[in-house]
Amino acid sequence: MISVAHAAAEEHAKSAGMPQFEPSMFEHQIVWSVISFLILLHLLKKHVLPAINDLLDARAKKIEEDLDSAKLARKQAEKSQTDLNNQLASARQMASETMDQARVDAARHREQAVEELNAELAKKKNAALLEIEAAKKKALAEVQATVVDLTMLATEKLIAKSVTKSSASSMVEEALKEIKGSDASLH
Amino acid sequence: MEPLHHFQVHKFVDFSLLGIDLSVSNSVLWMWIAAGLAFLFFTYGLRNTKQVPGRMQSLVELGYLFILDMVDDIIGKKDGRKFFPYIFSLFYFILFCNLSGLIPGSFTVTSQIIVTGTFAAIIVGFALLFGFYNHGIHYFKFFVPTGVPVLLMPLMVPIEIISFLARPVSLSVRLFANMTAGHTMLAVMFFYVVTLPIFGAWLPFGFTVVFTGVEIFIGFIQAYIFTILTCVYINDAIHLH
Repeated sequence: MISVAHAAAEEHAKSAGMPQFEPSMFEHQIVWSVISFLILLHLLKKHVLPAINDLLDARAKKIEEDLDSAKLARKQAEKSQTDLNNQLASARQMASETMDQARVDAARHREQAVEELNAELAKKKNAALLEIEAAKKKALAEVQATVVDLTMLATEKLIAKSVTKSSASSMVEEALKEIKGSDASLH
Repeated sequence: MEPLHHFQVHKFVDFSLLGIDLSVSNSVLWMWIAAGLAFLFFTYGLRNTKQVPGRMQSLVELGYLFILDMVDDIIGKKDGRKFFPYIFSLFYFILFCNLSGLIPGSFTVTSQIIVTGTFAAIIVGFALLFGFYNHGIHYFKFFVPTGVPVLLMPLMVPIEIISFLARPVSLSVRLFANMTAGHTMLAVMFFYVVTLPIFGAWLPFGFTVVFTGVEIFIGFIQAYIFTILTCVYINDAIHLH
């Protein structure tokens, strides 16, 4: 009987305007709209929304952590950079100090060497002068000895032979020439 | 030729329990299909979630954040979050009803004024009760606009009351009319495609192709408007203007 009524109602809807305004079709659509919506709501609330929420939260957390660790890494990198720079600067300073030291040492060594050389040279000069002096003395002594010898020789000759005035003077001249000759050779 | 024929509701199973009509009709069937598709869409997108999302997961996350941002923007983070599941479900229920109606041979649930009207009535009724729950008798201040001369009050207050009462009507009729008009237009055009000779039929056929794209867009827009107005009404119940 109900279905007959519905059929009649449908017949009526077909003949008069929009089928959406057929009141016999209202009640079950109202009820099922609400039920369908509530079922969907329940399903989404239970299985979908928490899952997406967790997902997004986890990602947000992960990004935050990554950012934090990146910040930390950056800080560390900056620190090691400054350390490196400090080390470099100190190494550079050490190198320049060593350089300066070496320069000073070299200068001192050179001066010392020059001084030593000068001293050596002076010593050698002194020794040469002494040698020269000694040689001079020796030569003078030799000259003296030669003069003595000559004198003795001349005297011998004078004693052994009768000596004329002319021969004597010629002999003295001869002797003088000898002395002069030896003297000239000395000087 | 009957362009309104596809809005006809047919009961498959005539059934009532405790005096409540629980018959299953094509409208009810497509409600279930739309709700099922909505649920399937999300569970498919979340089937194996990754920290770096794939396409479907991105789409699901985007769909979640889209509604979350809307709720946060309009109602506010503090007050809005407890309504979020309801508004989220409402948007996707309506969206999938709108879109599944575009499948040839399907039924558009949201083209039924009684369905859109049910949701609109529940939303506006809830907003009204929630307003009184929050503000008590002060909720009547809602009908008294601020910054208006007292002399104009006899005019302004009835206007405010009428505009408030118009809310469920405009909310339900907007969605129903959009869906009905679009689908009727498509039906008329398809009728021309079938009846016109081939040299004339390409024009309405091309139109149906373009208009199906427009209908998809309208399906999104109307679901969005319905939801955003829901947020606005709830916000009005929390923060009196």
